[in-house]
Amino acid sequence: MSFWIRRLASIALAVGGCFLIDWFAKENLKDFIVRLVVLAALYITLAVSLNLINGITGQFSIGHAAFYQVGAYAAGLATVTFYKSQPLGLALWIPLMMLVGGVTASVAGLVVGLPSLRLRGDYLAIVTLGFGEIIRIVTQNLKVVGAASGMAVEPKMSTPMIWLAWLLAITSIAVCRNLLQTAHGLGFLAVREDEIASSAMGVNVTRTKVAAFVLGSAFAGMAGGFLAHYEGFLIPTMFTMDVSFIILTMVVLGGSGSVTGSVIAAILLSTLPEFLRDIQQISMAGLVAAAISIIAGVVAVRYVSQHVHTPSTRRIAYPGAIIGSIILTVVLSKVLAFIPTLANASTDGSRIRLVIFAVTLVVLMLVRPQGLLGHREFGWGSLRRSEA
Amino acid sequence: MGLAEEVRGLSQAVLTLDKATIRFGGLFAVRDVSFSIQSGDLFGLIGPNGAGKTTCFNLITGVYKPTAGVVKFGDTVLNGQAPNRICEMGIARTFQNIRLFSSMSALENVVVAGSLRQKSSFISALSYLPSAIKETGEIRARALELLKVMDLEDIADVRSCDLPYGKQRRLEIARAMATDPTLLLLDEPAAGMNPQESEQLMRTVRRIRDEFGKTVLLIEHDMKFVMNLCERIVVLDHGVEIASGGPAEIRNNPKVIEAYLGEAV
Repeated sequence: MSFWIRRLASIALAVGGCFLIDWFAKENLKDFIVRLVVLAALYITLAVSLNLINGITGQFSIGHAAFYQVGAYAAGLATVTFYKSQPLGLALWIPLMMLVGGVTASVAGLVVGLPSLRLRGDYLAIVTLGFGEIIRIVTQNLKVVGAASGMAVEPKMSTPMIWLAWLLAITSIAVCRNLLQTAHGLGFLAVREDEIASSAMGVNVTRTKVAAFVLGSAFAGMAGGFLAHYEGFLIPTMFTMDVSFIILTMVVLGGSGSVTGSVIAAILLSTLPEFLRDIQQISMAGLVAAAISIIAGVVAVRYVSQHVHTPSTRRIAYPGAIIGSIILTVVLSKVLAFIPTLANASTDGSRIRLVIFAVTLVVLMLVRPQGLLGHREFGWGSLRRSEA
Repeated sequence: MGLAEEVRGLSQAVLTLDKATIRFGGLFAVRDVSFSIQSGDLFGLIGPNGAGKTTCFNLITGVYKPTAGVVKFGDTVLNGQAPNRICEMGIARTFQNIRLFSSMSALENVVVAGSLRQKSSFISALSYLPSAIKETGEIRARALELLKVMDLEDIADVRSCDLPYGKQRRLEIARAMATDPTLLLLDEPAAGMNPQESEQLMRTVRRIRDEFGKTVLLIEHDMKFVMNLCERIVVLDHGVEIASGGPAEIRNNPKVIEAYLGEAV
């Protein structure tokens, strides 16, 4: 009995939290930031669901945008076709359409999951990549969904249903977390570690892989269903390969297999390039100083991780490098300011934001190839202990 | 004849290979091998390198499908069954080149195998229902118990790839035991162990048979280990069965000596 009370309380807390985010964002934030809050939730869903396929089950899939797109188009098409002839209000209709998107995408996931039974690693990657392109090109030529000129999804949500996006994100996190807490989930990890051994231990490898694909694509499809009604307009160029790559980057950056890592990386990568837009007047001296310090920091971390074996030094390597580079940046920028050409020139965040984005990724992969959290999880104990 | 042997004599064969053959192109890796293992046997499969012992294991556990012949588990024909189905029926194995789930802890390794016959559904796991939580707890407790049997309880939370070799081997046995098999296949369990460790392993394997009532089929290179432990032995050479019988018979069989030491000049 106490279990159900706790369960209901935690669900109520999650839903309440979602509405709190919704209320807070609408009251206090600018429209463009509200958009980021919504996109962050969608990207969390996408990253967490790809992490289930990629990080937890070890099936290297890089066509996640395709499932996102299938969900979006299925939901959009259903709304355009059926909304007018049914009695439901928009607030009920949209969650329903998200389910439609999820189910359609999971069928697509099943179709892609089946070849995954025979393919491994890079070969599977190529198949999923190809699948993603096929979906995009097909919609680009399909008259029913507006082909290359896109499709208007009428009606779209009148105000952004931020709570719904976050509820979806939290649900996807909860499902993955639940899975990893039970014996079923360890079977998924076992498939990642060694297929032959796991089948010899009675794990149904076929079913596990297909389940991962179906479940992962279902969440991506639901995110797509939300997107369709949030944007009110769908066009194939919204789902190009770079979307797939950004989602993959989130998974790898957060640490393959780590749910919390995916969440952190998704928030970071979906918002960082947009926030950089706002920074005005970056002085060239500071920029050059920062570049030099970052290189120095990376070199220092790499040196320590490869050549220094005293634990005390290794432990302070990351904080030391970060603090060191910050100090170096400040000092160098003052020094470089004496050079007139650097002192007088400046640039805007909007111009170099993608450069900063790219540099961040390169630096992170150099200093933490295993991702932000590695295989670890943040905050949950019990069955899966943290691994050093 | 003691009672135990009498029971064993009456009991039906656990595993039967009848002219099992597997061919890779023109090469017969295993050819016309026939033997049967009775319930409660400690059965040895030996032979020089490349004799086809591990291939035999792969044949039994469904990694390979026999080209000809029949592999039977009790009355069920195993030919063409998936490895996980065969494991479910009650055959578990260890691997010659250790195949642990390396980034998972020792306990998790055993839990994976222990969840073979779990009843709670996938949906109940995803929604973290009490049934799934409870069953996971039970599986976990059983896994800890098995680790204790294999003397590994102190390293339950250590990542399996960080374990020393001997412990990895024992962990593989614990993992195989967790599937609650009728027949346990051990592929060179004593490889890389020092004399003390292999002595201890011998006691453990015997205990697995006597206390847990498992039938054991093992491949081993360490002759002392096999001769001391196994009650019946089959010798393979170049994929063909060249001898079978008790340890004493095998030790004095000229064909076996020839296979191991080369032809007499």
